[in-house]
Amino acid sequence: MKAFDVIVVGGGHAGTEAALASARAGASTLLLTQNIETIGQMSCNPAIGGIGKSHLVKEIDALGGAMGIAADRAGIHWRILNSRKGPAVQATRAQADRALYKAAIRKIVETQVGLSIFQQSVVDLRFKGQKVDSVITDSGLRIKTKGLVLTVGTFLGGVIHVGLNKQTGGRMGDGPSNLLAQKLRDIEFGVDRLKTGTPPRIDGKTVNFGLLEEQPGESQRPTMSFLGKPEDHPRQVLCHIAHTNEKTHDIIRKGLDRSPLFTGQIEGVGPRYCPSIEDKIERFSDKNQHQIFIEPEGLGTQELYPNGISTSLPYDVQLDLVRSIKGFEDAHITRPGYAIEYDFFEPRNLYPSLQTKKIVGLFFAGQINGTTGYEEAAAQGLIAGLNAARLSQEKEPWVPKRSEAYVGVMIDDLVTMGTKEPYRMFTSRAEYRLILRQDNADRRLTPKGRELGIIDEKRWTKFCEKRDRIDEISKKIKKIFISAEDKKVNAMLNKPLGREYSVFEVMKRPEIKGMALLEAAGLKMISSSVAEQIEIDCKYQGYISRQEKEVEKNKSHFDQPIPSDFCFDSIPGLSNEAKQKLALIKPKNLGQAGRIPGMTPAAVSLLMVYLKKGDSIQNVQAD
Amino acid sequence: MAYIKDTIAAIATPPGKGGVGIVRISGPVAVRIGKEISKRETEPRVATLVSFYDDRGRTIDQGLLICFQGPHSFTGEDLIELQGHGGPVVMDLLLKRAIQLGARQAGPGEFSQRAFLNDKIDLVQAEAIADLINSSSEQAALGSMRSLQGDFSNQINSTLKKLVQLRVLVEAAADFPEDGIEAEINKDEKEKLKYLLNQLDQLLEGAKEGHAFSQGVSLVLTGKPNAGKSSLMNALCKRDVSIVTEIPGTTRDVVREDAIIEGVTFRILDTAGTRQAKNKIEAEGVKRALKEVERADIVLNLVDVSENIELEMMEELEKNKRAKEIVVYNKVDLLHKKSIPSSFQCVSVKTGGGLQKLKKRLIKELGVLSGGDSIFSARRRHITAIEQARIHILEAIGFIGIENQIDLLAEELRLAQLALDSITGTFTSDDLLGEIFNNFCIGK
Ligand SMILES: Cc1cc2nc3c(=O)[nH]c(=O)nc-3n(C[C@H](O)[C@H](O)[C@H](O)COP(=O)(O)OP(=O)(O)OC[C@H]3O[C@@H](n4cnc5c(N)ncnc54)[C@H](O)[C@@H]3O)c2cc1C
Ligand SMILES: Nc1nc2c(ncn2[C@@H]2O[C@H](COP(=O)(O)OP(=O)(O)OP(=O)(O)O)[C@@H](O)[C@H]2O)c(=O)[nH]1
Ligand SMILES: [Mg+2]
Repeated sequence: MKAFDVIVVGGGHAGTEAALASARAGASTLLLTQNIETIGQMSCNPAIGGIGKSHLVKEIDALGGAMGIAADRAGIHWRILNSRKGPAVQATRAQADRALYKAAIRKIVETQVGLSIFQQSVVDLRFKGQKVDSVITDSGLRIKTKGLVLTVGTFLGGVIHVGLNKQTGGRMGDGPSNLLAQKLRDIEFGVDRLKTGTPPRIDGKTVNFGLLEEQPGESQRPTMSFLGKPEDHPRQVLCHIAHTNEKTHDIIRKGLDRSPLFTGQIEGVGPRYCPSIEDKIERFSDKNQHQIFIEPEGLGTQELYPNGISTSLPYDVQLDLVRSIKGFEDAHITRPGYAIEYDFFEPRNLYPSLQTKKIVGLFFAGQINGTTGYEEAAAQGLIAGLNAARLSQEKEPWVPKRSEAYVGVMIDDLVTMGTKEPYRMFTSRAEYRLILRQDNADRRLTPKGRELGIIDEKRWTKFCEKRDRIDEISKKIKKIFISAEDKKVNAMLNKPLGREYSVFEVMKRPEIKGMALLEAAGLKMISSSVAEQIEIDCKYQGYISRQEKEVEKNKSHFDQPIPSDFCFDSIPGLSNEAKQKLALIKPKNLGQAGRIPGMTPAAVSLLMVYLKKGDSIQNVQAD
Repeated sequence: MAYIKDTIAAIATPPGKGGVGIVRISGPVAVRIGKEISKRETEPRVATLVSFYDDRGRTIDQGLLICFQGPHSFTGEDLIELQGHGGPVVMDLLLKRAIQLGARQAGPGEFSQRAFLNDKIDLVQAEAIADLINSSSEQAALGSMRSLQGDFSNQINSTLKKLVQLRVLVEAAADFPEDGIEAEINKDEKEKLKYLLNQLDQLLEGAKEGHAFSQGVSLVLTGKPNAGKSSLMNALCKRDVSIVTEIPGTTRDVVREDAIIEGVTFRILDTAGTRQAKNKIEAEGVKRALKEVERADIVLNLVDVSENIELEMMEELEKNKRAKEIVVYNKVDLLHKKSIPSSFQCVSVKTGGGLQKLKKRLIKELGVLSGGDSIFSARRRHITAIEQARIHILEAIGFIGIENQIDLLAEELRLAQLALDSITGTFTSDDLLGEIFNNFCIGK
């Protein structure tokens, strides 16, 4: 088979975005996956977005990725979270139809120019020295490549637990990827184990919805993609809310002696934010009920996903516990819940580009880096795919900074600090949260994406229109004044104006809604997304400029690059511990070095002095 | 190459020494600070006699102002020197004013580091700079530890704990709205924030008044009966303030007196020291002594060497002493041969031998001589941090109950904590998440 610039292994969320980004960046790309039918498969709850996560989706979208577009074509229940807590923590969440989502992703992948798909399981990797050479597939094919992105996800060394039964496997129904796992273990990337779980699924026909609380979606539906419209959405459905009760808790307590979590059979570390129901009941024994979100799996199926009762108890206990819940008295379980343990690779062995430090041209993305979640996987995929393509083109890698994108925060966290539990995004991880909002992802990233060559004409034109309009209105509102007597505007305010103010000044008041004020000021024909940006720009101006100043101030200092061959041993005053950490992480710049846990300001100062020294010596030699 | 864009300030000479103290300010706004602090323009490189003013226009001191324009300065940046009449109080006021006007307190070795980074110091000196950074950051750590002694650090920690509790609530409301967490942040939290504000105010009060700046450095004498504590007190004060007899247990209550040593004011406290109390009066004396030891800036622990003390015991004493303690071996005149290593602080109050050395050591303990971080600058750093935290808490109070701005409330609380963290050590976003997961049942 002919050689490719980039090969992506795995057709999950990381793999598809990686392959698409690579192809968009102009590299000839091959996507190898075990089963074409599972491209874009949501292994668990079919929902996209949520707090911190929709931030990622919108960033992927702003860089031309597929996830947002697919979510718009598949979302059957939309919610805006934190709608009244401020734009920086506001988020979008869509319940998706699994089949529609998969179809949307598959269509985007199949129509991407420069991308070929091939159903093959990869069983071996070949290197030339410390460089990627080719992959070997289960049918014995050898395919050469310059950049190789591994996104084999939940399938590495997977062990599934239902009660005290265990079996090897990836997602229930798929085989684990063991040959490859063994190969990767041999290269000593540093393997560790994590665990996660999933709730039993329930047959909707057997549930009495009349006894459950209804949870309707938003009437004014948001979209995930910058290019999306609510009209893209399929038919909408209801979600429901149910609760566990004391009886449920008793059933669970009685079953704990057969829980692999509590007998010590499971060694992997599970996420603190996604505990199993048995964990929740043990740790918060004073709570007499827990909320369960009852979410449909899709339009074409009756199956339900009870979000909140992830469990690895034996099937009989699962059935009893489900039936103890009001509305579920006659429920039938279609698939039991389970816990799965799997391998991941120490992400500190990666550069921020997601290339491994050991093998040139080998990139890791997605769950194998210790993250969990579709969005986290997809975001890494995009960066890894882009950088694999850039490597094949002999271009410098690109990774957004912590001040530019949540993707940047996630990658920096992973490669600098590693992780002890499945890593999931939260807004509190971002110190520049006020400037990293979901509403401005396009403004933050699309121009950069265009520069990198991964933004098509259509998106770019639409982006420029919006950008220009924002600029235009921003200028106007400083010149239009509202008189103290303006009835319409005073009616919007808690305290009347008192004197004449510019629209810009009035906009800063918290109670003001952007669109309404712009209209009152005679500025018509403004789209809601432009009005939103104007409003936030005004209200947050002080904070945004403070954070921007902070970024600017740190730039000259933190952005100072550290050469990849820099020898930390040569710094006399550094403690051995600091030297070891630096040698392991190989930070790309001073900022990253400073974020390594345990690095003191004095150590960073020393590093700065010796960087300068190294620099000068090189300059002298070059002269 | 310009590495850093902010302006730093530090006290550069010991207060008192020769009557002059220098505050150095380097960076882009240094010249502006010089202008504002003296309310006049001065010619570069010319020492000009000016008055230094505080934020309310009151004179802090009179002295010389010299401006050096970058790159023709020690650091290679714009740099000014304020030469005042020394004295820790005045130097601290000048430094405080410089910080108000936009400077940041310099880190350990930072002036030399900048000089090096701006090619003002030669490459060969990289090692020397590294040493300087290392030694002065050790000193800074020590200074900081001293500043954090006693109640001060307990209070900061308890304030911080309350702040973290609030942050946990606010951040959980932002990141986990679906987990049934009380999303309303209102009256209760406002009260809690006001309480925090109050605590910060108290901390500031305490930090300012209880400290050396205004009342001198407190130096507490302790040790076994008859070790010579009262004798040393009298020698340092050059006056007969405390009764000396050969009877063990002479001093019972705390005796106080000020003394100026090398230009620095010390508040000296003679105590009953440590002893097995034989009656109620003695017991009370020992209790008071202990209390003063806790509060002291510096403790001198006197040991009578005529009592057959062995080398091992001395080493044990040196190893187990507190950060602010100096073990002083007295009555060396009674020793026949010199059996005490020279690294140990020996005196004979009777002959006056070693007293000069002891005084030098006291000044060195303050850290002011080396121009590095001392208890003075550490305390100034801490005060600045508390003041910053206070501003952010004040802002946060304004956001309580306002719809749509929980993100801003969270930001102010984060910044408040960041400020206090500079005193107590870092608290990462992962630590915060950990607190959230411990306090709330999160997860679907
Ligand atoms: C039980 C369970 C419950 C979960 N619940 C949720 C949830 O509710 N919400 C959420 O957001 N996330 C959830 N996750 C996490 C989420 O599924 C993953 O983090 C995410 O799918 C990872 O994406 P990925 O692209 O890295 O891997 P995957 O989506 O697992 O994709 C891996 C791909 O690699 C292919 N592949 C594997 N080995 C080979 C090989 N040797 N050769 C060729 N192809 C190969 C597979 O066929 C697959 O296409 C759950 C995970 C599990 C296991
Ligand atoms: N030979 C000698 N005697 C000293 C020296 N310093 C103090 N003494 C004597 O030691 C005795 C005790 O001295 P004080 O100063 O009263 O000791 P103290 O530690 O205050 O004792 P209490 O108050 O009883 O705890 C007195 O007789 C002093 O004269 C010294 O350096 N050499
Ligand atoms: Mg006495």
